[in-house]
Amino acid sequence: MYVIIVYDIGEKRVAKACKFLRKYLNWVQNSVFEGNLTESQFEKVKYGLKKLICEEEDAVLYYVFSTPKWVERGILGKEKNPISDFL
Amino acid sequence: MGRTIYIFNSGRLRRKDNTLYFETEESKKPLPVENIESIYFFGEVDLNTKAVNFLAQNNITLHFFNYYGFYTGSFMPRDYLNSGFLLVKQVEHYLDLEKRMTIAREIVEAASDNILRNLNYYKNRGYRVESEISGIESLKQEIKRAKDPEELMAIEGNIRQYYYRAFPLITGYEMEKRVKRPPDNILNTLISFGNTVFYTTVLAQIYHTQLNPTISYLHEPGQRRFSLALDLSEIFKPIIVDRVIFTVLNRNIITEDDFEIEEGYCFLKEKGKKAFLQEYEEKLRSTIEHRNLKRHVSYQNLIKLEAYRLIKYLIGDENYRGFRAWW
Repeated sequence: MYVIIVYDIGEKRVAKACKFLRKYLNWVQNSVFEGNLTESQFEKVKYGLKKLICEEEDAVLYYVFSTPKWVERGILGKEKNPISDFL
Repeated sequence: MGRTIYIFNSGRLRRKDNTLYFETEESKKPLPVENIESIYFFGEVDLNTKAVNFLAQNNITLHFFNYYGFYTGSFMPRDYLNSGFLLVKQVEHYLDLEKRMTIAREIVEAASDNILRNLNYYKNRGYRVESEISGIESLKQEIKRAKDPEELMAIEGNIRQYYYRAFPLITGYEMEKRVKRPPDNILNTLISFGNTVFYTTVLAQIYHTQLNPTISYLHEPGQRRFSLALDLSEIFKPIIVDRVIFTVLNRNIITEDDFEIEEGYCFLKEKGKKAFLQEYEEKLRSTIEHRNLKRHVSYQNLIKLEAYRLIKYLIGDENYRGFRAWW
């Protein structure tokens, strides 16, 4: 599945969340991650984030697509971090 | 399905924050370690043991290539799917000539069926490849009569000779005969490059099964190489590598400018390698609807499924039937 995660997390914890998500997803721009995950990886991500955040203050939103094919992805301005398999 | 990363730039691959970072002079790019299956190194990359240990922990296979795109070797992390039982079975099927020949024959038959599938496709589009097709078809009859793997290899070689004769007709590029080490013209270079990369893809897939990659059936299990990957790649080369070659040439994704030719040597330039790999990646990722499984399966997963099928045969569950494209 293709997952987009956006978060709004207090300053103290935000770096932790970012580091954690980098293990699983591609960093697209500040507080936005996206990428392919398996069901089990997705559960791990959700569980890990839940432990990390303060549920009273922080919010993490996720959008799940069964396939990225049906999503139109566009960008205005400069792409900060293009996802590519070629480095 | 995990991602494959191809590194062409020079830089450093390091472990940081429990994930991977590729750092060049201008940029630092984090790579999601949980999603990576293998990394191909074409550029000049530094990495230390800390990084290698971390990669091994995550079962990521590394493949190295030299400046000219020739295969240097692979780093396979410690086997994580061990099975003594299957190893014994694998060896048993190797030692018994009849059992070995059953598998070897099936590999060659499946490979030639896939070759014919390619040629028939082009025949239907008006390419004049009839004589190659009939040549291969008559050679196919001899597969059943072959008594040992050596004879089979010879037949297989002859089939490929006919097959490669069709390449210039399909692509419009010249190739007198198949030349390796080093390849001498555009077609030979692409075939060589495609096959080496594919060989590592198959190897990585075998790594994710319980099979031991050194024990093979059609090819003689030599020393210092993973010959089972050669066996399995025979079946898939026509439907994956060769089709990519036809695509990049016929659609002018790769042209003569992407090669460097000097004194009988012909090399792919970096731009050409990238273009080829891009197309190749897309091929591996594209899916087909699997007839038996009734779900979509990517070409890359088909290779792994083939390994499972071989396992099923080795442990006596099912007859072995090599994969044949039906589309």
